[in-house]
Amino acid sequence: MEFLNPNALFGLLALPLLLLPYLVRRKPRRVMFSSLLLLKESGEAASSRAWGRIHLPWIFFLQLLLLALLIGALSEPVFSIHPTNIAIILDNSATMQAVEAGKTRMSMAKAKARSVIDAVGVAGKIDLYVTTPRIVKLSAAPLSATQAVSAIEALEAYDLGDAPLDYNHILDQLAREHKYQRVYLFTDHPARRQTAAARTISVGQPQANFAVTGFDVRRASLANVISGRLEASVEVANFSNKDEKIRIVVKGGERALANRELLVPAGKTVVASFDNLADQAFYQAEIENRDALMLDNRRFAVLPAGRSLRILAVSPRPKEIASLKAIPGVDLDIVAPSAYGETDTSAYGLEIFHFATPAALPRNPTLFILPPQNNSLVDLAAPVTNITVSNWREPHTLTRYVNFSLFRPAYARPLKPESAGEVVIESPSGPLAFAVVRQGVRYLTLGFDPLPYLGRENLPMSIFTLNFLDWFSNAGMKSQATGEPLALGRIEPGDSIVSPNGETISLTVGYDFFGATFYQGIYARRRGGAKELSARNLQDLGESDLRAPAAIDLNAGTVQDGGTSVLFSFWPYLLTAAILLLVLEWFASPRMTKLAPRRRAATLSMLS
Amino acid sequence: MLPQPFTPAFLSQLEALRLRTRKEFLGSHPGSYSSPRRGTSLEFADYRRYSPGDDLRYLDWGIYARSDRLYVKLFREEVDLFAYVFVDASASMGFPARAEKFAPASHLALALAYVILANHDHVKLHLLQENGSASPFYRRRRRMTDCVDFFAAATPNGAVDLAASLSGHLQRLRRPGKAILISDFLMPAAAYQQGLNLLRAFNLDIAAIQVLSRQEVDPNFPAGSLALVDSETEKEIKYQWNDKARRDYQTRLAHHNLELKSFCHQSGIHYSLYVNDRDLSDFVFATLPAIGLFK
Repeated sequence: MEFLNPNALFGLLALPLLLLPYLVRRKPRRVMFSSLLLLKESGEAASSRAWGRIHLPWIFFLQLLLLALLIGALSEPVFSIHPTNIAIILDNSATMQAVEAGKTRMSMAKAKARSVIDAVGVAGKIDLYVTTPRIVKLSAAPLSATQAVSAIEALEAYDLGDAPLDYNHILDQLAREHKYQRVYLFTDHPARRQTAAARTISVGQPQANFAVTGFDVRRASLANVISGRLEASVEVANFSNKDEKIRIVVKGGERALANRELLVPAGKTVVASFDNLADQAFYQAEIENRDALMLDNRRFAVLPAGRSLRILAVSPRPKEIASLKAIPGVDLDIVAPSAYGETDTSAYGLEIFHFATPAALPRNPTLFILPPQNNSLVDLAAPVTNITVSNWREPHTLTRYVNFSLFRPAYARPLKPESAGEVVIESPSGPLAFAVVRQGVRYLTLGFDPLPYLGRENLPMSIFTLNFLDWFSNAGMKSQATGEPLALGRIEPGDSIVSPNGETISLTVGYDFFGATFYQGIYARRRGGAKELSARNLQDLGESDLRAPAAIDLNAGTVQDGGTSVLFSFWPYLLTAAILLLVLEWFASPRMTKLAPRRRAATLSMLS
Repeated sequence: MLPQPFTPAFLSQLEALRLRTRKEFLGSHPGSYSSPRRGTSLEFADYRRYSPGDDLRYLDWGIYARSDRLYVKLFREEVDLFAYVFVDASASMGFPARAEKFAPASHLALALAYVILANHDHVKLHLLQENGSASPFYRRRRRMTDCVDFFAAATPNGAVDLAASLSGHLQRLRRPGKAILISDFLMPAAAYQQGLNLLRAFNLDIAAIQVLSRQEVDPNFPAGSLALVDSETEKEIKYQWNDKARRDYQTRLAHHNLELKSFCHQSGIHYSLYVNDRDLSDFVFATLPAIGLFK
């Protein structure tokens, strides 16, 4: 026999509480009576000792039985036979790398999975699944017990956060579709309830953890791109219940560049800034504190390949857009809209479409200025002149230092966004600036024309122009999350990617993205003789916070359509018995009260 | 002002009753009760040889014609009755409240007193308590208000030794008559037997009326452990109260009452039990005549 909801059995510990009302009730109440002559001789005197006062009526035992049956029903006991056709789902998210008592949670989960496989026996058929980056079956055909054990041993946890899975639905669906007699999920999330065909087997305990939750290396500003000054900010979080001193070390490659010690309050994050960093191929921020999950104790970042911002402008009005050349650090090429298709865009850090739109979204960060109607991001409203700004996002790189009371575009067409994104500037007639990030690439659409760049002559618009150039120039420096694909651009034969664990993967012509970025670290893209670096980090605060992982509650009863049930669930019988007892108690107690006057009347007649 | 049960109808019904005695007492005035002395009533008693000086009106001329001897007829003397109503005024009679036990007991005593007063007999009221008081003899109906005032001034308190208390009252008793003892008799058998025997020793015709409250007959204590306190002695005992304990108590009360009844029966004492929730008129007009207290 086993219990689908064993936590309910803790309710048995509360059963002695039922005694309390009876103990309290037994405390002697002082009652005056005419004469104790006839009471001295009869009845048992109440003892002054506590245990002696316990006089339990039969209704107490009925209530005790009722509660025990209810708890038994809630714990959902089932009689089961050993299943032979099972699915094992192994959580391979980043938290499974957490170490407890010298063992990783992954190894603990593997050990438990092995014991389940041993119980299935040699005749069993086992399908093996992992949960990240998405739930996927590892072998086409069912595995034997030996094969399953070998396959499990080869599994490692990815540096990925939990996939947003509805386990309640997925386990149920797996059991139905594949007619599994039982589905086991091995995870570090606590389990609440189980269902007839699905079992959640938990490993690990809540732990304190410290993490580098943000690391950003950038040039100080667009104006200083030539000087090459670098600054970095590191965000560290304390996922524990006490304040902690955390030492941060910023490294360039493997060489330490700077370090600082911070006091991080419990449950809070603190940001540290570092200036004047030397120019390195890549950077990493690391904390020295030892904790359960080492993965999030460091984080990687890279700089864009070039110091200047290389812009490809597509405009029917080249004269206006050429004014951007006045900005230091801007390297501008202008093409006509008709020539865009023949241009190699891979070397540009920003594309600007001025009164133009491409056939498909570019792979580079792109600014759309008053695009024609046939674009995929926004629709345009009727033109408005001398429009005022009514609202803007703050703080935001695009809006900093801009005096919006003086910000009056002479001509504007409010935007009607057709996809999810961020409205940065808003007018009474609608949004004027709309930012979207697609697969890590930034796109900004403006409903007004900030060009030409006039410098001090139109200060608000010039500041806004510098802001969006800054925003786009920093886009490539932000580290991205593990699992986010790398944009490949044009692939030449012989191009490859070296993953953080040293594996070289050859790239195939025809693919736009490289998606297997499951490990944290630096990915090196080899393009001919050149090398482009890209950083991927675990960016899931839920994974780093090991104190209270979300529980998995399999609350819906799983039913196997057409499958053979391996369970005999008898909690409904317990529940029925409990209800019957409840009715009996409800019926018996008032009845006893009603019968009492009859008995008293009979006694009275005897007295008279 | 008369208490609530004493309505004009109830009083007129009471006037129709007369106390019944099983003994002959010497009265002070002509009345309706037989006296051991010969007198001038219409009820023939005996013959006696004529002696000079006898009233010739009582000569039985028939016997003289048959036997040639002179006999005079003797008649019973009918006198009034002296009745004593003893009411227990111990603390137990005030349980659960004065109005629930002592008041019904005093109403019963007043009803009996009214019957006596209405028959031009004498009644004296006694309170059985420590330093218990007694009223003077009352006669005629107009003294009913004095009887009411007497009980209204009484407050049940303290413990009572029945024999000792009765003894105090009986020492001042000069005329034998009818004694009616109203009490809850919640005392050891020896105590009430001693008291009743004392009344018997004074050649009184005795009636014992036991008054209990419904709470005493069927205690409705909350189930569980109780600290019961005696209303007279204020002694406290711990007690486990449940259905079984209640049944045990009722059995013992039934046995106690049966023992009292049996003793009264053996001693020639009228006995009756009055529970306070019973209608007074029903008890007075049905039960008391049935036990022979009224003619």
